[in-house]
Amino acid sequence: MIQVRNLVKRYRGVEALRGVTLEVSDGITGLLGPNGSGKSTLIKSLLGLVKTNEGQGTVVGKEWPGQVREIRELVGYLPEDDCYIAGLSGIESVALMANLSGLPKTEGLRRAHEICDFCDFGEERYRPVESYSTGMRQKLKFAQALVHDPPLLILDEPTTGLDPSQRESMLRRIKTLHTHYGKSVLLSTHILPDVKAICDSVIIMVAGTVKVVDTLENLSRPIHPTQHVMVLGDSSRLVQRVRENGLEVEVECDGNLRISPLESQRVGLLWQLAAETDTKIRRLVPAMNSLDKIFIDTASLSEVR
Amino acid sequence: MPIHDLGYRPWNGEKCGRWLRPRFIAASGIALVWRRKWLRLMLMLAWLPIFVPAIGIFAFEYSSTEPQMLQFVGNLVGGPLQRPDLAMQLLADPDSARHEVWTLLIMAFFRYPQLSAMVLLVGLIAPMLISYDLRSRAYLMYFSRPLNVIDYMLGKASVVWFFLSMIVTLPALILYLIGVMLSPDLSVVQQTWDIPIRILSASVVLLVPTTIVAMCYSAHTSESRYASFSWFATWILGFVAYQILTFMGTNFGPRRRREFVDGLLLESIDYDRWRLLSPYHALGKVQASIFGLDTTPGSVVPSVLLLIAVTIVGAWLVRRKILALLSI
Repeated sequence: MIQVRNLVKRYRGVEALRGVTLEVSDGITGLLGPNGSGKSTLIKSLLGLVKTNEGQGTVVGKEWPGQVREIRELVGYLPEDDCYIAGLSGIESVALMANLSGLPKTEGLRRAHEICDFCDFGEERYRPVESYSTGMRQKLKFAQALVHDPPLLILDEPTTGLDPSQRESMLRRIKTLHTHYGKSVLLSTHILPDVKAICDSVIIMVAGTVKVVDTLENLSRPIHPTQHVMVLGDSSRLVQRVRENGLEVEVECDGNLRISPLESQRVGLLWQLAAETDTKIRRLVPAMNSLDKIFIDTASLSEVR
Repeated sequence: MPIHDLGYRPWNGEKCGRWLRPRFIAASGIALVWRRKWLRLMLMLAWLPIFVPAIGIFAFEYSSTEPQMLQFVGNLVGGPLQRPDLAMQLLADPDSARHEVWTLLIMAFFRYPQLSAMVLLVGLIAPMLISYDLRSRAYLMYFSRPLNVIDYMLGKASVVWFFLSMIVTLPALILYLIGVMLSPDLSVVQQTWDIPIRILSASVVLLVPTTIVAMCYSAHTSESRYASFSWFATWILGFVAYQILTFMGTNFGPRRRREFVDGLLLESIDYDRWRLLSPYHALGKVQASIFGLDTTPGSVVPSVLLLIAVTIVGAWLVRRKILALLSI
């Protein structure tokens, strides 16, 4: 869906994007990164809203940045900012966006109603947008992004300001659009559970560079075989013995241990050490990486550098 | 969930051309402005002055059957419209004066009531066009669509152009039609065919630079009241400065020309010297020239150049401001 090479954006000498090269395939891709990492700049650059200093590629099969207007025809964008056209009602706003994307006048209005039904607007669609709550405005922006039926949706913080049930509905709609209608989604967010809930792959950006691009499944696997051990009582003697045997032990805040590198075949060693130190192991399972940990590790590593 | 909800449905209809899309911005802007009661009232009031030139044209054409009407038109042209030469001509040969009388009446309609109504209308509509978008960040919605800055500006400007045409161009064209319909036969069209073209040209001269200036003010603040204030200040200060410098005091250089004609001292005021200070007078000069009724001796070229420069610089500033907003 998106392939860009060596994307550079400088704001008065400050590099907001430093030679970003990335490939986003079909599916739902989470775009993660701390504040100021360049996510929004990257998105605006892809839509031609921000002029880049260097870089080239393709977006939805169109030359980027040469064909940004054609790209905008094929992309639905939900901006992070609170933006609306003052004075219009919800349905008028969605219909106007449909018209601006090329739908004829009457067809735009018909389509706007269809999308408002899909987004569960109800009678609220006839109210002026200024009177909408934050959650309603998010839904409005989502409807506007979707109204011209684009193959690619770029959603910048779509669940911000939504209550738990609205958030769940929004994520369900995004998932449905991918699974049933083949839409690709680039989801920029800070909310990691959202990414875990619906994304197939993840991009992590830090300080204007792409640090991680991988599927969520691959990222969940630890680099070294690791076992997650739940211990009853004091584990300090076991930790000491395990370290003496050349293994790495990380004691988590809840007292549980992550031991690596420890393949399943060598688990017997752990049982033996537990018996020697009179420690009771309550649970022993292969450990999975958490997205939160990957995100924090990536961000903090970059800060150290 | 509505009972008729069918969930998401793909759309694969035929899209309309890109060049048509600014008209959707214009249509939505016009609809928004039209919702304001005061504006509808103002539009109605702005049509009232049409009665004066309409009565003038009616009286002129009616004079072929009622000769005393000619005196009334002569008084109108020679008095308030300050063209005694034309008054004398129309009393002598009404047919030969038709073109100039119609043009003068339409031009007076353009110049005095409608120019003032235009200043008021643009000052109330235009500043909010872009300011509101800045405040609510609506520009992001527009530019995430296949639009460029020119499309956006064209769409916004069209809102103002529509309403201005409603109070300036349309009534002026109706005045011309009234003249044609009241005239003895359709041969007057041969005599006056250029008047509609002059009306359209004068409308363009009025609409384009004024709209661009108002949009320029609007693009530079998210508070539409500041834009409105700047707009009215431009017209009022320019007008007052022109009046003061042209008609009062002698400290600003040789303002009056004195000459002896047939032994009489004639003192004429130099109306062109300070004209570029006032948008109202610069526009008036160009419009008078378009209607072929410019009675002041100065060249029209400086006023034309001023309007062109204002249009180009204003459009460039609006474009620059919008592009700068998108870069953040």
